[in-house]
Amino acid sequence: MEIEAGSKTLPARMKKIYNVHAFRAMFAIVGFFILWEVLCKLKFPVFRNIPPVEEVIMGLWDVIFLPKYWASWPASFFRIISGFLLAQLVGVPLGLAMAVNRYAKDTVFPIIEILRPIPPVGWIPVAIIFWPTREMSVIFVAFLGAFWIVIVNVLGGAAAIDLRLRRAALSLGASRRDIFWKIILPATLPSIFTGMVVGMGITWEMVVAAEMIAGRTGLGYMLWEFYLTYKLGALIVCMISIGIAGYISSGLVRLAGRKLMPWRRQF
Amino acid sequence: MAQGAKAEVGALSIRNADKVYDPEGVNVHAVMDFSMEIKAGDFFAIVGPSGCGKTTLLNAIAGFDDLTGGEIRLDGEVIAAPGVAPFPDSERIVVFQHGALFPWKTVIDNIAYGPITQNTMNKKEAHAQAKQLLSKIGLLGCEHRYPGEISSGMRRRVEIVRAMICDPKLLLLDEPFRAMDALTKSVMHEHLLKLYDDQPKTIFFITHDLEESIYLADKVIVMTSRPGTVKVVVDVDLPRPRDFRMLATDHFIELKQQAIDAVHEEARKAFEAGERELA
Repeated sequence: MEIEAGSKTLPARMKKIYNVHAFRAMFAIVGFFILWEVLCKLKFPVFRNIPPVEEVIMGLWDVIFLPKYWASWPASFFRIISGFLLAQLVGVPLGLAMAVNRYAKDTVFPIIEILRPIPPVGWIPVAIIFWPTREMSVIFVAFLGAFWIVIVNVLGGAAAIDLRLRRAALSLGASRRDIFWKIILPATLPSIFTGMVVGMGITWEMVVAAEMIAGRTGLGYMLWEFYLTYKLGALIVCMISIGIAGYISSGLVRLAGRKLMPWRRQF
Repeated sequence: MAQGAKAEVGALSIRNADKVYDPEGVNVHAVMDFSMEIKAGDFFAIVGPSGCGKTTLLNAIAGFDDLTGGEIRLDGEVIAAPGVAPFPDSERIVVFQHGALFPWKTVIDNIAYGPITQNTMNKKEAHAQAKQLLSKIGLLGCEHRYPGEISSGMRRRVEIVRAMICDPKLLLLDEPFRAMDALTKSVMHEHLLKLYDDQPKTIFFITHDLEESIYLADKVIVMTSRPGTVKVVVDVDLPRPRDFRMLATDHFIELKQQAIDAVHEEARKAFEAGERELA
């Protein structure tokens, strides 16, 4: 079977890989690396001190044979998943409670609004003091990174629920309990998942920052180590690794969203 | 086509209904001294300009809002009066102007929601009944689609069926066909009339469109501009089942003439009042 982008003869699964959007993305990424190389070779301002692509490729060759590098992936992922899941387990019920209960909102929301502007990075020194292990400190900072986003999105999503949907449900015989479980919760799901996708990106930022400052393992720690030893090519490889890891994580959240919200084709 | 048996429940009595929003503040008098008696099984329409209190009245009947004066009774029981906390229930089901199908449920699950929630049917029975109703309105085959995947006309039909499957005493329709073009609207009228003919029940229908109200209803009330009250009552004696060809008959035009001047006068008043408020 001849493979041709956009061909009507392709089976559906292959069309997903070989479609025009995927080709455009590939061209853009390749074009990005070509542009980077050219700007470095021409010693463009800002690019004078940035390692060119060939140095990054050499750095990749060094890094892939380092067991410590490969061990840093599961170490970071464990912290990401732990902090992220905790943020959902605490943040979603708390957000929903504040959305449906005026007393909960009046008492909890002011505290959240005072603490929320503190950047999660600013919590790192306190986290190191609070928690008995560095691991717990990093997970705590990861948790904070996602937690505020979850709360804000859940509250916003619940507030935006069309009054007609609640009224329709009441008209059709729903009780108060039904309204919460069968209307508010499913209607807020899109906002919850939007919060998850955004929160996942911020969780990665926080974990990397925390690992740079307080960690002994992880991609953030590796990045800092390469910086201290001036291995710029390997440093860039580490940064790209973090980007890929974040992309995979957000992609998994989106996939979960598409499965749980089949009515939202655009998610 | 033979009509179904006339409904025995759903007699609505509205006596001196009055509604003032925020009496201590902006003090908007939406409905004033509105009275009407509707027999069980009658198709009743209200026509009036925007802001005349039609939806306010519907909300009071449906149990979403209270009254500041007067009372509303359904089969003799008070459902709205000053001091009575509003309580929506499955005896009075609303089909909303902009639609209120649950986006996360398929068409068939939307329709089955009411009977399952009220424990009047199990899931299998509700789905079977839903399919029967869907086939009556020409939507069999769409049952597993989501509301976002069907047209607005189809959604509106599904919403009406979702209400009808619960067999309420009173069906309240708040300008359900407002956003549709004339051709789609005429098809929707046919579907609604077919459902009504098969299973007559008390219907309270709000619209801006005088022709639509006369074509569908047994009685049409023209409301005044705010504060809304009764201006003109038209008893529609067109035979059932009704046909779109009736729209061109002399009798239909006569019925329209009974109310057209009143409708136009109130529309002008509402427009001028709106301009004054903006100025």
